[in-house]
Amino acid sequence: MTFSLTLSASDLLLLLPELFLTLWLCVVLAVDFSFKRIVQEQLAYLTIFGVLVTLACLAWFDVTGITGTLFGKMFVVDRMAIFFKVMILVATILVILLSIDYVHRFSLFRGEYYFLVAMSALGMMFMASANDLLSLFVTLEFATFGFYVLVSYLRDDMASNEAGLKFFILGVFAAGLLAYGISLVYGETGKLVFSDMTGANPTTGLVIGFLLIFAALGFKIGAVPFHSWIPDTYHGAPTPVTAFLSIAPKVAAFAILLRLFLVALATFKPAWALLIVAASILSMTYGNIVAIAQRNIKRLLAYSGIAQVGNVLIGLAAGTKMGTDSILFYLLTYLFANLGAFAVIMAISNSLGSDEIDDYRGLNRRSPFLAFAMLIFLLSLAGVPPLAGFIGKLYIFVAAIKEGLYILITVGLVNIVVSMYYYLIVVKKMYINEPLDSSPIKTSGPLRAVIYVGLAGTLVIGIYPQPFLDWAVAATLMFSNLVGPAASIPPPVTPFGG
Amino acid sequence: MAEYTLLIILFAPFLGALALIFVSNRQVSLVRGIAAGSAFVSLAASVYLFYAYDSVKGGFQFIQRIEWSRQLGISLHLGVDGIGTPLVLASGILLFAGIFVSWHIKDRMKEFYIWILILAAATIGVFMSLDLFFLYFFYEMSVIPMYLLLGMWGSHTKKYLEMTDPEGLKQRDSVGFIFNFAANSKEYAAMKLVLFLSAFAVAALMGILLIYKFSGLNTFDILILREKAHFSGPLATLIWLLIFFGFASIAPIWPLHSWSPVGHAAAPAATSMLHAGVLMKLGHFSIIRVAFEILPETTRELMPIAAVLCIFSIIYGGLVAYYAKDTKYVIGYSSSSHMGYVFLGMAALDYISLSGAVIYMFAHAMATGMLFAMAGWVYDQTHTRDIPSLGGLSNRMPFISAAFVIGCMASIGMPGTVNFIAEVMIIVGSWNKYPFQVVVAVLGIVLTMAYLFKMMRGLFYGSMAEKYSHSHDAVAVVDRMPLLIMITVSISFGIFPGHLYSVVRSGVDPLIARITKVVPVAELPMNIPQASSPTVPVSTSREAIAKVTSR
Repeated sequence: MTFSLTLSASDLLLLLPELFLTLWLCVVLAVDFSFKRIVQEQLAYLTIFGVLVTLACLAWFDVTGITGTLFGKMFVVDRMAIFFKVMILVATILVILLSIDYVHRFSLFRGEYYFLVAMSALGMMFMASANDLLSLFVTLEFATFGFYVLVSYLRDDMASNEAGLKFFILGVFAAGLLAYGISLVYGETGKLVFSDMTGANPTTGLVIGFLLIFAALGFKIGAVPFHSWIPDTYHGAPTPVTAFLSIAPKVAAFAILLRLFLVALATFKPAWALLIVAASILSMTYGNIVAIAQRNIKRLLAYSGIAQVGNVLIGLAAGTKMGTDSILFYLLTYLFANLGAFAVIMAISNSLGSDEIDDYRGLNRRSPFLAFAMLIFLLSLAGVPPLAGFIGKLYIFVAAIKEGLYILITVGLVNIVVSMYYYLIVVKKMYINEPLDSSPIKTSGPLRAVIYVGLAGTLVIGIYPQPFLDWAVAATLMFSNLVGPAASIPPPVTPFGG
Repeated sequence: MAEYTLLIILFAPFLGALALIFVSNRQVSLVRGIAAGSAFVSLAASVYLFYAYDSVKGGFQFIQRIEWSRQLGISLHLGVDGIGTPLVLASGILLFAGIFVSWHIKDRMKEFYIWILILAAATIGVFMSLDLFFLYFFYEMSVIPMYLLLGMWGSHTKKYLEMTDPEGLKQRDSVGFIFNFAANSKEYAAMKLVLFLSAFAVAALMGILLIYKFSGLNTFDILILREKAHFSGPLATLIWLLIFFGFASIAPIWPLHSWSPVGHAAAPAATSMLHAGVLMKLGHFSIIRVAFEILPETTRELMPIAAVLCIFSIIYGGLVAYYAKDTKYVIGYSSSSHMGYVFLGMAALDYISLSGAVIYMFAHAMATGMLFAMAGWVYDQTHTRDIPSLGGLSNRMPFISAAFVIGCMASIGMPGTVNFIAEVMIIVGSWNKYPFQVVVAVLGIVLTMAYLFKMMRGLFYGSMAEKYSHSHDAVAVVDRMPLLIMITVSISFGIFPGHLYSVVRSGVDPLIARITKVVPVAELPMNIPQASSPTVPVSTSREAIAKVTSR
């Protein structure tokens, strides 16, 4: 395989968002080192500014339709990549806003924190564009690299160190699986680019190779049975990092999963659909049932996140154009609800220093705004109309029922009811139980901003989803040739009485 | 303006709730004003709707269609027929009355009004949805406000408050006590209600998704589906069962009723009113709208299920109500029991009986609304719902006790109230098909008299305990008005049911004609003098049939 690297100006244009963010990261780092008197808030806003410019650049790409591939198809910029990058960057901005109050708890390296967050975002942007096995491995590790540091950023806190260690060991193990899987697949097919692999002969080595790759990606999205790092890591990590971890890597990993399963493995769909169905059922059921027993809100959201990933996998199991639309749309709704919920958790943790659900007692009396926001976010996660999560869930179910995945949908619907129980337990503590201490809770400006963005996203998408649906549909036009396996088209429609 | 009537009815409470978010809880009169104002706008528009509905033309009127999602084939498609119109009116009346019934609420008044406005608006939304998606959307949306209303402003049962564990300690939050059916906390009632309704709602959602898939039309629109979709065989049976039991749980039909009295008992008065008055009718209405419209043949085959279960509803609910000692349990179980009559009227699939069922829903909303409002007043004054410990309150509250007697009479179905007309129509209409059920239903009326008279005597007559001598009657205009509104509506429609009857009939006729494929008979029940000049001429009905069958 010849590999020549020629870059023209128009090629560089495709890399513009990533190049700009890289340069801006250097600026942030340089500013942090050069000006001794710089305050960390200013660094935060400096980083946000860079991310916003990157976002504007991506918006420009999306509007003018600039797409293309680079480096022998290793790096692809299509509308789906842009959609995922926008989600990652929006999550990054919100997480940086979440961090501003929290950074004071770090004893050292406060400036580098923002650098690391934005660097992980950069890695995940590359993930969204990864189009072959090599770039998959490199970008995945690049993105995870920042998180290894971020998770253990509370140097003096045992839980944070434990979380970091668990995340690191299991992450490295997953990386090993990934590398081994890639080597098997390459050995069997001699191809690296996803789109070249379609129609490859399904040898044993190839099947094992793809299973290993799926295991590594399953680790990233936290699907059962690759979920075991999630609860402890979420619990121990600094809360803004948990918030980041709960959405951005999942989004990026789903970009790769979509390209892998629906491009490289499109012809083997009947085989892998079963795998995805199993992972989906296990994730939803396990996540929701274990979440019932949680006493810590971060662990609760960790398990609920496992269940949500199970929901997203329903869309992948459908494996159609509509399935991919529904995944993109669902992740968007999940982003706002989940980051909003973490913003409320941060606000409460900042003033009470606790993440226990019992300390949410009577929140409605102490801060009606926070309680209302949390109510909206949790109900959106549970999938209650008129909130965004309901439309997301319904879209996924509609995509799946068109493919005849009845058992999967039944499990998904039952799980909605199960999940409602533990979300409502939190609502009960906030609204029904009386507070032990009725002093009001104050919310800082940046947190308030995140909560407002989350509320706006959750309510607007829930009440008027059309533009967002259109955006998701336009982003996945590349999959419009996908046909579902269920050839059982319903009998021709006969008009009543005719 | 007139074509936006439905949007006004639906969105006035939502906008009221939105406006309340920005008002401080301390501005009591402003909070009350916004709540009452938005409820009044909605009520006024629904009164207009009721009288502007053209019963000669029939069919769906005041249609609004707003594209909502092309990908999913969803549009906000609103419209009312002769079945939806009276239920929208009932919701409007109960919301307006409920705002005044909860006038004196002290704790977090603003939030109370926000949730009750959202609850009522969501209920109204179901009654006017012509899109399966929005029907489910509003249906599920009405459940969550119930959780908060019950949990935040509800009350525990008496036994629950006195409950101790063997060591004499109060152990109210322990898990084991959740399964104690004699005594319940409001948290338990609220959680049970939400989980129960959600579990069955997702069954109905599965049915809706199956309709969506197997119609192959890529639309949730009921009007398109009922014309073009055709289901048969085991699939139709499965969908029908999912839809029927999914929605019948809120109705509540007999084995699925247990959440309902517990919920009634825990809820504050205005919530009980809306819950028993209109929320429970969502079940019957959704069955009529979805199963009757889209699956007419299967409905004809399977509706006998309802005819069997309604016997248990009527008798079981009535017996429990007779032995219950808590005012709200009595009214709650009486509601469960009375909903059995609606199922009987629906099961017979007859023009008269289904019209009777729809009118019964309207009538029951008024009667049970009154009873719950007054049970709430008594509870506020005496802080107990325990019937044996009460008594002789008519000395202290002459107005309430008089109104209560009227409410009981309405609930029993005394001639002169609209309930009487509804009951007679159900009984006459289903006699041919289900004579045994009719006998049970008549016995049920006797049972209703027994438990309502027993409660009436226990509350208002006999000797009064000294500690209740400071209780007050409803004197202020705001306290009397809601009761007077409901009494007026109940009696005036009882004496002049003509318009109500013709509106309902215009909705029922094409539906039954589709299901039974039998042309309606022009005869009307002899007991209703006003209806002796048929407002729905035979020719109109025949035209309707011809229209349907020619498609």
